[in-house]
Amino acid sequence: MTERKDDIGLDAFFAAARDDVPLPSGDLMARIQAEALAEMPVAGARAAPGFWAQLRDALGGWKGAAGLAAACACGVWIGISPPEGLSDYWQGAEAGLGALGLDPVSGYDLALFEG
Amino acid sequence: MPYDAMSECDDEELLAAYARGDAAAARALTTRLTPRVFGHAYRMLGGDRAEAEDVTQDALLRLWRAAPDWRSGEAKVTTWLYRVTANLCIDRMRKRRGSTDIDQVPEPVDDAPSAAQTMQEAARAEALQAALMDLPERQRQAVILRHIEGLSNPEIAQIMDINVRAVESLTARGKRALEAILSGRRDELGYEDDD
Repeated sequence: MTERKDDIGLDAFFAAARDDVPLPSGDLMARIQAEALAEMPVAGARAAPGFWAQLRDALGGWKGAAGLAAACACGVWIGISPPEGLSDYWQGAEAGLGALGLDPVSGYDLALFEG
Repeated sequence: MPYDAMSECDDEELLAAYARGDAAAARALTTRLTPRVFGHAYRMLGGDRAEAEDVTQDALLRLWRAAPDWRSGEAKVTTWLYRVTANLCIDRMRKRRGSTDIDQVPEPVDDAPSAAQTMQEAARAEALQAALMDLPERQRQAVILRHIEGLSNPEIAQIMDINVRAVESLTARGKRALEAILSGRRDELGYEDDD
């Protein structure tokens, strides 16, 4: 009986608390709204970067990409038209596989014979 | 309640719109959520307006920052906010307890006998608020969510990260403790006059 009476009593306190709603001030509402707008993501800003942008980033930005392109161009140029002095150190005939005494497919022959 | 032009959208839809850069959604969410967060913080912190305002601003800032990565269908926005708000309040109360003790808890209106007749309801709310501050944090949180905010036990269980039976146990123990604290003040608060 006592418990039941106590429950009724507490309900009156809870009802009073529910009616006594603490309201935020206008100033707080304004501050929070300003913060919400300041923190809001910009529309479309989160789109994934394209293929070229990802490649450029992987190579280290524009500087890295330009360095790589220059190195490639040098390699092609040296291959097509080697500088005159280079043949003194590296002669075409001596650079052949036979001259080096290396047969890159010898292991393959052996595998073929063994079936 | 047509608080805003987007009242037909639920909170999750509004948050998704906010993450896409919709300013109207930002305003609607502010209008909708600020009073709830503030009310909960105010009650958890024993009626300290300044601290409740700080917690509200902090909790909502976390929501704005979580919006772009929000996974829809995983948690209700309000459930997430109640949890963040309660955790922020508990952190503050622990810091406060370490520095100043329970003296900061506002006293009920003991010094105004006439208030019992003229502002009985307000006095009761204030007395309850003071009594809530005597409860352990988790009991207080459960009682506020259940009996003042009016949430369901399963929702409270989600907010507090416990099961429903644990919620029932917390609210039952909380109510018993409140009854014990408030029983000595019934006459003073005009309780007898109501029955």
